[in-house]
Amino acid sequence: MKILKPVIAILIGYALLKYGIPLIGSKMHPGTWPVVPTSVMKMYMFFVVAAFLLIFTRSEEGYNDIIGPIADIYANPSKKVAMMALSVIVGGVGAFVAYQYVKPTFEPPVELRSIHPAPPSTVKAFNKSFSLQTLKNPYRVEDKAELEKNTLEGGVVFFKNCFFCHGDRLLGKGPFAAGFNPLPANFVDVGTIAQLTESFVFWRISTGGPGLPSEGAPWISAMPVWHTLLSEEEVWKAILFLYDYTGHHPRVTSEGGEE
Amino acid sequence: MLGKKKIKTSLFRAVFVLLAFFLFANVASVGSVAKFFDHKAYAQEESADGGEEAAAPAEEAVDDNVWKPIAPPVLEAKDYPVISGVNSRIAVWIVAQLHLFFGAFVLAVPIFVWVIELIGVMTKDPRYDHMAHEFMKVAMTGFSLSASFGGLLTMLLIVLYPQFMEYMVSVFGKVMIIYALMFFAESFFVYTYYYGWDRMTAGGNKKLHLFLGLGVNAAGLVIMLLANSWTAFMMAPAGLGDNGAFLGDTWAAIAGPLWGPLNLHRFIANIAYGGSITAAYAAYKVLTTKDAREKAHYDWMGYTSFFVTMAGLLPLPFAGYWLTKEIYGYSQQMGITLMGGVFAWLFIIQAVLIGALFLSSNYYLWCSLGRTNGGDRYSFMIAPIGTVILIAFLMWFTPHTLIMSAGELAQIGDAHHPVLGFFGVMAAKNTAVNILLLATFCSFQIFSRANKKAVGDGFWQKNGTAVQTGLYIAAATNIIALGVYSYFIPAAVRIGLSVPQVCTTLVVLVGGTIIDVLMFKGSREVGEMKWGNMPVRSQYALFLLAVSFTWLMGLMGYVRSGIRQHWHVYTVFRDNSVNAFTPTLPFAANMVTLIVIIFVALVLFMFWMPILASKKKKDPAALEEEPALETGN
Amino acid sequence: MRDLFPILIFSLLVMFGYAGFVTFGIPLIVPAPPPVEEKLSGDITMEQYVAIGDKIFHGKGTCTLCHNTTGHRAPILEMASSDGEPVGVRAAERIKDPRYQGEAMNGEEYLHESLVDPSAFVVAGYGKTGTNDTVSPMPSVNKGAIGLSDVEMGAVIAYLQSAAGVDITVALPTGEAPADDGEEEEVTVAANAQEAFDKFGCSACHMHPLIDEGGDIGPDLGKVGATAGSRVIGLTAEQFIAQSIIKPNAVIAEGFDADTMPDDFAESMTVSELNMLVDAVLHPDKKPDQEPDSTEGE
Repeated sequence: MKILKPVIAILIGYALLKYGIPLIGSKMHPGTWPVVPTSVMKMYMFFVVAAFLLIFTRSEEGYNDIIGPIADIYANPSKKVAMMALSVIVGGVGAFVAYQYVKPTFEPPVELRSIHPAPPSTVKAFNKSFSLQTLKNPYRVEDKAELEKNTLEGGVVFFKNCFFCHGDRLLGKGPFAAGFNPLPANFVDVGTIAQLTESFVFWRISTGGPGLPSEGAPWISAMPVWHTLLSEEEVWKAILFLYDYTGHHPRVTSEGGEE
Repeated sequence: MLGKKKIKTSLFRAVFVLLAFFLFANVASVGSVAKFFDHKAYAQEESADGGEEAAAPAEEAVDDNVWKPIAPPVLEAKDYPVISGVNSRIAVWIVAQLHLFFGAFVLAVPIFVWVIELIGVMTKDPRYDHMAHEFMKVAMTGFSLSASFGGLLTMLLIVLYPQFMEYMVSVFGKVMIIYALMFFAESFFVYTYYYGWDRMTAGGNKKLHLFLGLGVNAAGLVIMLLANSWTAFMMAPAGLGDNGAFLGDTWAAIAGPLWGPLNLHRFIANIAYGGSITAAYAAYKVLTTKDAREKAHYDWMGYTSFFVTMAGLLPLPFAGYWLTKEIYGYSQQMGITLMGGVFAWLFIIQAVLIGALFLSSNYYLWCSLGRTNGGDRYSFMIAPIGTVILIAFLMWFTPHTLIMSAGELAQIGDAHHPVLGFFGVMAAKNTAVNILLLATFCSFQIFSRANKKAVGDGFWQKNGTAVQTGLYIAAATNIIALGVYSYFIPAAVRIGLSVPQVCTTLVVLVGGTIIDVLMFKGSREVGEMKWGNMPVRSQYALFLLAVSFTWLMGLMGYVRSGIRQHWHVYTVFRDNSVNAFTPTLPFAANMVTLIVIIFVALVLFMFWMPILASKKKKDPAALEEEPALETGN
Repeated sequence: MRDLFPILIFSLLVMFGYAGFVTFGIPLIVPAPPPVEEKLSGDITMEQYVAIGDKIFHGKGTCTLCHNTTGHRAPILEMASSDGEPVGVRAAERIKDPRYQGEAMNGEEYLHESLVDPSAFVVAGYGKTGTNDTVSPMPSVNKGAIGLSDVEMGAVIAYLQSAAGVDITVALPTGEAPADDGEEEEVTVAANAQEAFDKFGCSACHMHPLIDEGGDIGPDLGKVGATAGSRVIGLTAEQFIAQSIIKPNAVIAEGFDADTMPDDFAESMTVSELNMLVDAVLHPDKKPDQEPDSTEGE
């Protein structure tokens, strides 16, 4: 029954991915159960199975332990019933997988939108053109007192305009948040403003959902086109506030730096 | 008899020296290379000559003589010739890719053939020499196939894209002639190198033979560099005026911003690729040979090829990073097209394929323990190494953008996954790759020591393994700590952290090897290496390696070409044919599969050639009932 | 050969596996088709070209600033008036005028010359004061702030000829299409007073130390600052100048005509530009590079 060894290893791997990752995630974001999406899970499991099969078949003994029992069933006329049963099980699993693929579902199409689509090189807002590669926040000044004042003013802008969706703790859980798909961005998360330049954030705020390129489809964000509602200064100051409040640092583009 | 041979040799030498002199004189007679490249200088000189001859009437004639730059034409769809039933782009795609496959193979093989021959000379072990000769034998058919596809590609381009070729000729015309001339040099060296192998075996003759091998590689390298310059020019044109017309300095057009990184990336990849193809050849021979000695020989050959592949594969990601960085530096737009948008998923596919390469490589090494007599001492380590590789690999290919259904989105409660989101960024991927490399190197070290036993009371003999274990633990801790730390610092600093991570890996690679050398100085072999004692499935790991590598190369060719988008020459010469659009990934994947199938069929033909040749040689030997092995080896 | 079959089948399975993963395992993204190329000459008709000229004449070209029926600062061009036939008609006559010194051989060339070199022929009564109608106050429209391209000037000529009802002799442009709507909307905000003067065409009528060559149709802006504070009771100097820019007809300086200056600056100017202009008029001798900061962020 040594054939059970790789099976158990694979099952442990499956359990870790299926329950371990959501468990860790639920500790980080209480109240959620962040499962591994099916699309990723399939890829994970393919390689978990492949890797453990390779590990266990590296030596002749290991190989025979796995192949032996199967070969025995198929080669031994006295185990005809077992052979039939195994064939039915294998065929059945195949049929089940195929059925799962083709059966009609009521799920909406999967989310395909790119969260951080490639920005254009220039952006038109406030009746001007901005080059996103060189754009800097003019209110991020050296003077500490001045910076603090700007940031405070940005906070006022945030709570007058942005708070309703992005929430008082900037977690993307404001009073209106539940109504949107995509959900409002969570600025505290390391995956959002923490890895973006200020010019990118400026672009996203100024032109809002309608300014997203086609990768942002199909559910275009409900973010308003703020350059028609706020002044340039207010947008920049609100950006200062976002970084200050979350403790993140805006990404600084280095020369030729990717990522 | 002896005198005749001596005369022959010296005659041959004299001819060779003459040829070399002739070649040199030809290059020298052109004058300074820079002037040769500079159309304008050339043209001015001509017009100056004309001016001296006559004053007024010559002026018009001079005007006609002066070289004029050609601006790229603005074409319409109807300007592109059509051969009914043939899709121009697909025809060129298939032929160019096949040409590249064979070209890469025949450029790479002489490099490591030469190195192996040199090792044979230094160690005085004739087995190396035999193996090098056999590698060359495999590559010989490749030369003619590569040249044939090259000719077909040229004709297709001239027929199907005449305006494009006219423009390219206006920029690179002279270089193209040099390129064609280099084939004479390449042929000369290849044929003398290969057919002279059995004659030039000892002393000065062997040195001459090694020199010829160097000639093969020098000619091959120049050919590759020149061909790369055209590709690099199409991606990042240089040396052009405002209207896209060539300014006259060919060197400026050659040495564009992407030439250097493209050269390095292709050079390293060629070696890894050439190794994987010869490994597949050896694996095929191992599977089909019944004779134990031959089997042992081909198993050893397969192992050597595999080693070459790994030596190329390990630095390849870093060359790739450099190329990407230069693409970003040249054009942010091109860089974003590459990494985001349409091609973003391509790098997930690439990650999966590279993962398959690493898994099959490690599997081959694990199976290799079966060749040794002391492998059991280390087999307990394989499961942990395998698990580490698995985890690192899963982290590596986790996409940045997760596809999730509405239900999953609700469960996760955020468009960003709290756990998997960490794996999507570059910091996690750099960490994962370095751990992957460490684990693979560990597999290799296990194999390389499995058949040895350290003898003696020296420090290294007693404590070497402990020091190495410490080195691995320290390195892994450092890499992971840097990876975790990078989440807490600004992104700009974060990029810089990948450098110490890579350096840590390099320290282990170099340090581990040095300690191995110190430790096993004068070591005792546990028993004779059981070459040929490899399971069938390990040889399939080599096939997987070769097929995956070829397929991946085809796919990356698609994206390298694809990021030019609708341009023949990026931002300068627009592609207005009906095929200007970028094909989708699945379409490209199917195209690549088709091309690789054609390639595999031709490779089988290539492998079959030396077998066919040796069969004819063997037949009379078999009739005379002589031991066939002596000639076969 | 039989040994090859398993290897072949294995290789095929690997490749189909990869191709299958690419086809079914990842989302399909269809790349956007290549962008449509800029309009070429074949795509534009003469009607469209004339329409573009109309737009430039009344917009980017700032022609109507002076060539209007109210100010009499420049001849009326597009229709018959006290200046005679529409310019498209009279252009052909001008070149026969004994005072004409230019090189134009026909009406179209004359119109083109008038655009790029306005002083080549100055209609009697419209020259710069004191030059006896030898120097025109009009700027060259292919230079400076107006900066029309050849294609755009061609469009203006086509418009003028079309308005006059004569045959349009201008050739349709070859090469890139003239500016369409998109370009006109792309307005950049002036960075300092000098740019603002250029942008709003003040130099056509006014003089100021920041203007290289101003006109005398309106008051000298280098001098009005001194008295601005005392012109209207209750208005400070800043307020008065601002009012004079936004509502030019509120107070007309002595010796100048009403209805000459455009009254739509309230829409076209940004607040920062207005502030810069007021500041420059008030302190005409201030160096231009000191300007922008003083008004920013208020």
